[in-house]
Amino acid sequence: MTTMKSPAIQVQNLRKVYTVSEQEAGTMAALGSLVRRRKVEVAAVDGISFDLAAGEIVGFLGPNGAGKTTTLKMLSGVLHPTSGDATVLGYVPSKREKSFLRQITLVMGQRNQLVWDIPALHSFELNRAIYRIPQEDYRRMLDELTALLELGPLLHKPVRNLSLGERMKCEIAAALLHRPSVVFLDEPTIGLDVTMQRRIRGFITEYNRRFGATVLLTSHYMADVEALCKRVVVIHHGKLLFDGDLSILVQKFTAHKTIEVQIGDCQADLNAYGEVVSCSDGHFTLRVPKAETARVTERLLADLPVIDLLVEDPPIEEVIELVFAQGNP
Amino acid sequence: MSYLRLFGAFFRVSVRGELAYRANFFIQLFQSLLSLGISLAGLAVIFSYTDTLGGWRPDQVLALVGVYFLVGGMIGLIIQPGMEELIDSVRHGTLDFTLTKPADAQLIISIQRVEIWRLIDIMLGFGVLAAALVRMNERVGGWEAGAFILMLLAGGVIIYSFWLILATLSFWFVRVENILMVFQSMYEAGRWPISLYPGWLRYGLTFIIPVAFATTVPAEALTGRLTWVTLVIAVALAVVLFMLSRLFWRAGLRHYSGASA
Amino acid sequence: MKALAELYAQQFKTTMAAMFQYRASLFIWMIGQVLEPLVYLIVWTIVSNSSGGSVGSYTTKEFAAYFIVLMLVNQITYTWIMYEFEYRVREGILSFALLKPVHPIHSDIADNVSSKLITLPIMIVIAVGLAVAFHASISPPLWAIGVFIPSLLLAFLVRFLLEWTLAQAAFWTTRVSAINQTYFVLLLFLSGQIAPLALLPHPVQIAAAILPFRWLISFPVEILLGQHTPAQALMGLGAQVAWLIVSIVLVRVVWRAGLRVYSAVGA
Repeated sequence: MTTMKSPAIQVQNLRKVYTVSEQEAGTMAALGSLVRRRKVEVAAVDGISFDLAAGEIVGFLGPNGAGKTTTLKMLSGVLHPTSGDATVLGYVPSKREKSFLRQITLVMGQRNQLVWDIPALHSFELNRAIYRIPQEDYRRMLDELTALLELGPLLHKPVRNLSLGERMKCEIAAALLHRPSVVFLDEPTIGLDVTMQRRIRGFITEYNRRFGATVLLTSHYMADVEALCKRVVVIHHGKLLFDGDLSILVQKFTAHKTIEVQIGDCQADLNAYGEVVSCSDGHFTLRVPKAETARVTERLLADLPVIDLLVEDPPIEEVIELVFAQGNP
Repeated sequence: MSYLRLFGAFFRVSVRGELAYRANFFIQLFQSLLSLGISLAGLAVIFSYTDTLGGWRPDQVLALVGVYFLVGGMIGLIIQPGMEELIDSVRHGTLDFTLTKPADAQLIISIQRVEIWRLIDIMLGFGVLAAALVRMNERVGGWEAGAFILMLLAGGVIIYSFWLILATLSFWFVRVENILMVFQSMYEAGRWPISLYPGWLRYGLTFIIPVAFATTVPAEALTGRLTWVTLVIAVALAVVLFMLSRLFWRAGLRHYSGASA
Repeated sequence: MKALAELYAQQFKTTMAAMFQYRASLFIWMIGQVLEPLVYLIVWTIVSNSSGGSVGSYTTKEFAAYFIVLMLVNQITYTWIMYEFEYRVREGILSFALLKPVHPIHSDIADNVSSKLITLPIMIVIAVGLAVAFHASISPPLWAIGVFIPSLLLAFLVRFLLEWTLAQAAFWTTRVSAINQTYFVLLLFLSGQIAPLALLPHPVQIAAAILPFRWLISFPVEILLGQHTPAQALMGLGAQVAWLIVSIVLVRVVWRAGLRVYSAVGA
């Protein structure tokens, strides 16, 4: 008889509210703030719910400040939720039980846990002591990670001498030495060049395949999510806007292209060419279906005195707004 | 047992980090010798005009200077680096990493950094102590030695707990960059016997910022001036402050994680 | 000239705003500034009392006066530019200063003076309190009070320029902490902060007078305490002026050399 395996991560109505004091500019206001501060409540995460099965790779997509990092911190036990429930591997993360912490890991793209002045290898050994990894397992894992991430020449160089990408690879390796079954990655590819981004994405896929770890990845790069995740969760203003198959989102994301065309003034009516989003000072923004892009561009160039023309993907915020406006499919 | 192993791991990391900067050994040696030199020069000037200072003989004040350097070295070796690192990690968010590790966070932040070259201060302190003991007429018996070690330990715990309280304050007062300087400025007053100072200053340096327990009290133990009352207070204060600092630390962590207190 | 005045005014406003944010840090710093002279005040008054009421030419009350005035003079002439400079080079933000069409020393002086406009009143209150507590008294001749102001101004300028020059060691090495500490330790001893210079062994007094240290802190204190004849005071002022000229030359030379190193390395 098979029993339904309970999800590795369960989130129910999770909320995180911050109280922020506001201060206006100006000396009088500054003096006034000595006496009285205006307090504003900001919901960084505003009631989200989702489940992750063991071994899933899920991408959290959203612009900066959407609540992705806050969610991750609540799931790894660093932050206490204001309300709602979260369960990871059957544990309540905020209790920070040792047996829980041994099974998870957190990697943050813009912050280092490696010790700056010494070779990465020595930081690895520190983690070995902290996580009490048996020698055999440590050796084996280190060898695998070294092979997968091509760490060979990097291990004995002081971390401060590594490039950003090399440092990131070592950070990731250090975080995985104890073979966690849940991996939280917060913007792991931020600031890296395209080649390195691709390599790290490849590694995460391989790690998930080899060790069956549950991976929760946040990013504001669509490419990260496209490469890694079948399932994607879109977050904006602390709210969950979309949770489903990536292909559906991809379809919406690349359904349209934006054409920016500069002509003399805003007098002309360009509705025949595509949906006119805005115009200012002769600078038109058109939205056209992806398939029509080449044809519309050709016609624009032929028909109008075009000064400048630019074809772009719609910005992610726009796509997300679109997703939100259209609701769940 | 695993605490010791963990400490060993951090210690090794710190040492390796420092060995990368071998020049730092000579620089620290130079700075420590200079600091000691000026200390002794100041003493020499003072005692060229008098035979005793508030009842303390020159060799006894010399012993105090030895303790001053010894304890200063202990603070600089392990207490100060860890607390500075803690405040830094709160400011830059890297404390999050510490919180996801399966070990007690207070333990990690306390042992995470060791400034290995401050051992020089400790050794210089011992050297000065030895010189002072040689000059002291009365012999240092087992009782004095034992009391000395006990007072050093108590003083160490008191100072550690105090520094932890200061560092924990940074959870709430993120912008007070030099909060640790509170102790360091006051520690200067530890060069001289606390009994010299007027009542209000003596009180402040004993019970508000416990410099007295760092330097004067162990020196009193070594020079046979220690009273039972002081010894009991020192031990009691060590226990109480340690527990208080632990509670305060836990409160600080709860605040940091946004848990309702 | 007008532009420079404008710069100083602007820097004043900026410093005020920044200090407001860091008022707790400032308070903590001031504790140290008060405690050190206070400790030596106490030690020396004890020595004086147990030596029949005076040591050398200083009575117990004069010791108190000496260290209280010293505290104020030190506060007025104090700079932290060495740490500031090291920070700028380390963070690579020195370039911003170099891009401006004004010599960076001006905003540094303005920042220094502006900070003290806040801390000094508080220090004066503390000084008065200490004077009452320790029965300090001074009775300088009227002309000495007049000479005190220029000697204080000269002390501030020389000390600032010299420490600014020293700060530029950050161009050549990252190990400025050793240099800083050496300087501060020597300053501590030779500028009369541990003991009035008159009580130090004679060779040390000569060294303190040949080196700039005496003229940075001790000399204005000696003037206000009425320890000098008009002739001696004049000679002292002359020494300060001489050091001012030397330090101005040093600043220019070292700054130019430092710039060359900086732009060559492209730090």
